[in-house]
Amino acid sequence: MSAVDEDRSYIAVLAGFSDMTTSRLRSLLSGRTPQEAFALAAGQSRPTPALRTEFERYKTLRERWRAAGRRASPVGMADRCQALGLSVVLPEDPDYPAQLLHDPRRPAVLFVQGDLSVLDARRVGIVGTRNPTRRGTQTAARFGYELAEAGVCVVSGLALGIDGAAHRGALAAGAAAPVAIVANGHDAPYPKRHTALWSEVAVAGAVISEWPPGVPPEPYRFPLRNRILAALSEVVVVVESREKGGSLITAHEAAMRGIDVFAVPGPVDQRASMGTNSLLEVGAAPVSSTDTLLVALGLDGRRSGRRTFDARPLPLGDECVALDLCRTGPQNVESAARSCEWDLARAAMSLARLERNGWLGEAGGWFEVIDEYANLA
Amino acid sequence: MFASIPSAVLCGAQGHPVSVEVHVAKGLPGFHVVGLPDESVREARDRVRAAVMSSGATWPDIKITVNLAPSQQRKSGSGLDLAIAVGVLAASEQIPPEAVRGLAALGELGLDGSIRAIPGVAPMVGVLGELDVIVPVLNTHEASVVAAGRVRPLGHLREVIDVFNELAPWPDHEPPPCDLVRVSEPDMADVIGQPMARRALEIAAAGGHHCLFVGPPGSGKTMLASRLPGLLPSLGRDQALEVTMIHSAAGISLPPSGLVVRPPFRAPHHTSSEVAMVGGGSHSLRPGEISLGHNGVVFLDELPEFAPRVLDTIRQPLEEGNVRVSRAALHVTIPSRFQLVAAMNPCPCGGGSQPGECDCGEARVSKYAGRVSGPLLDRFDLRVRVERPSVDHLLGNMRGEPTVVIAERVAAARARASDRQGVLNAGLAPVDLDMHAPLESEALEVLRFEMEKGRLSARGYHRIRRVARTIADLAPVETERIDEATVALALEMRTSVRRSLTSIGRVA
Repeated sequence: MSAVDEDRSYIAVLAGFSDMTTSRLRSLLSGRTPQEAFALAAGQSRPTPALRTEFERYKTLRERWRAAGRRASPVGMADRCQALGLSVVLPEDPDYPAQLLHDPRRPAVLFVQGDLSVLDARRVGIVGTRNPTRRGTQTAARFGYELAEAGVCVVSGLALGIDGAAHRGALAAGAAAPVAIVANGHDAPYPKRHTALWSEVAVAGAVISEWPPGVPPEPYRFPLRNRILAALSEVVVVVESREKGGSLITAHEAAMRGIDVFAVPGPVDQRASMGTNSLLEVGAAPVSSTDTLLVALGLDGRRSGRRTFDARPLPLGDECVALDLCRTGPQNVESAARSCEWDLARAAMSLARLERNGWLGEAGGWFEVIDEYANLA
Repeated sequence: MFASIPSAVLCGAQGHPVSVEVHVAKGLPGFHVVGLPDESVREARDRVRAAVMSSGATWPDIKITVNLAPSQQRKSGSGLDLAIAVGVLAASEQIPPEAVRGLAALGELGLDGSIRAIPGVAPMVGVLGELDVIVPVLNTHEASVVAAGRVRPLGHLREVIDVFNELAPWPDHEPPPCDLVRVSEPDMADVIGQPMARRALEIAAAGGHHCLFVGPPGSGKTMLASRLPGLLPSLGRDQALEVTMIHSAAGISLPPSGLVVRPPFRAPHHTSSEVAMVGGGSHSLRPGEISLGHNGVVFLDELPEFAPRVLDTIRQPLEEGNVRVSRAALHVTIPSRFQLVAAMNPCPCGGGSQPGECDCGEARVSKYAGRVSGPLLDRFDLRVRVERPSVDHLLGNMRGEPTVVIAERVAAARARASDRQGVLNAGLAPVDLDMHAPLESEALEVLRFEMEKGRLSARGYHRIRRVARTIADLAPVETERIDEATVALALEMRTSVRRSLTSIGRVA
């Protein structure tokens, strides 16, 4: 744990300035002590020509930074970091992730909750849309679970949807710990709904941010987060993505760094698979099971034990008919009653029994076939 | 000289008897109305004076004092015009004072002496007891329905003068032709496909359950809801009278017979204000939509678009069956025992019919659904997904089962319920459920599982048992114990909107 000394607290304060970006922070800090860089940004010393150009280009930046400089309290920031159990990690520190040291867009500072040594394990990034299908969350959870079980560190972004499912799956395995890269300060977990998940990941593995406490999750910070996520992964898997989305940025960042990108194929007309399918078209490798990923990492997964026992009670009678029907596509009570020529109560009973026994998942009145990993997602 | 004419005023849906006392005596010429008249009553002075003069009578140019007793109660509306005019004529001995004894008068006057219709004649006549009552011709029917004495429809003040002076017999006014052609209620046969929603509507009608339809635009939610009143049995005499009183008070056109016998259907727009919904207004406290739907159906389309405050105001009437509206000066209790039917989209974009077709993020969906408060959502025993009708059904050109057939089943189920427990199943108290709606053990296991999983609250448990009772009552053969299939259907009809509507943390 790197203690928060004066230098680090100045850098933390500087990183918390509004509209601070990775490149601005790096150019401010290059060849200066943190205190000098702070004085320069806060307008307490003569701006360099480069900075002057920046100020002229973005009219309000100078004023906002000046105001931020007046408000800034390095001592307060140090206390805040300590209260949150954050370590402030600089590139010269021994625990700074080696993968990022030689990155073209190296973070000037990392704020870390948890233990960075979990990154010493093999690492797979799992990313995807915030609007996944049930199948997508299930796949993410399964990958998370099986990878963690095989000792692989799952790297993801704690977002709703695929990211969250991957983390949950990894945590459920209780083996290798996951790592989350987030786009805001640690003081206010985002998204709020993942507050509990956030702390579980921080306790088991690590939650990493480029930004100090107090920084909100502004839209421009997410692509920056995605580059770190990509850089920390040895392999990136996109489980589901719409035609545009942050996970495609992650895939792009990974490809630029020569990191293999895998995508889970999906139906061609399904919105949640448009991005992944287009990744496959431009050369990403398809993946449908964890084995492929383990082989890509050079770990032979085939010898590891497979689960052979399914604890779910076997379907009987009407339930078999209903389950077979659901295997052809999602059904609701009405459609099942129509296809099987049952009355509504009989259809409702069969579907409800299958749902209770874990064969079907229900959402908005529709029943879909699920596997045993669904309740991890 | 002095005359006293009984009349009445309206407050909420309630008539209050008013005695119009007129005193004509020597003094400075003047015309005063006392006894807490509001502006609309005070204006009667000018109308009455003009009407009396237009009717060929003489306006007594001496001091006229009108007292509206009881004088501590505020009075509003123009219905006292006729009583004041008759009082003035009697007190000034232009008609014999003894002739008006035992006679009440209701009606507004035009400057030409014509007697005009007023709202609320039914409740006002209701409180006048055994008295004969003069009413405007257009209000004849509703007055006849409630009157205990004779109803004397008159069209002009001159007729009043002629009758009392025995120059003419009581005129025999033809009952007014009904401007309202009885619109036949829409038929269930028009609803194509939709087995689930049709079933839910039938259950709602049979058990008196409040019902929420959730489905994409174009799935026929409004069409379904408007067909619920047709499934309900006609109102009994007492219920019909209550409804007639309220509709009369609100000035809604009544059916030709004067008595509202079919359950009313009200569909207030989602921009309706609190006052429009529960009743109120500064003077006469008009009944609101939920009272107009008394003994009938209130349909709220686009439920989340209603202002949250408006929705919250209907929660208490839903429980208590009446609404108490209070203002600084007066308060009234108006009956409002209605069946609530509501419709909403599953999400702001309208939603696709299959999973994954919706474009909204989870946050948007839960924000949209969050506009309907949990307690209100909880009042709906039936919460049913409505999908767009399948192509097979649409092209099949098969008409659905017609309303008359379903209404028979509904009537039979309601009869079973009332023979068994005296109330509709929606009104079954939790303590009586074990006696009237016992479960088979498999059915109980289903509910136990749902509760242990935290997907079913205690309240939801009771509601599902009530719905299951209704489903069982609708079956051709009466069963005492409720089986698993029935409970599964009841559960499906309450929880199938669980994820789309109650995204996180809420249970059935």
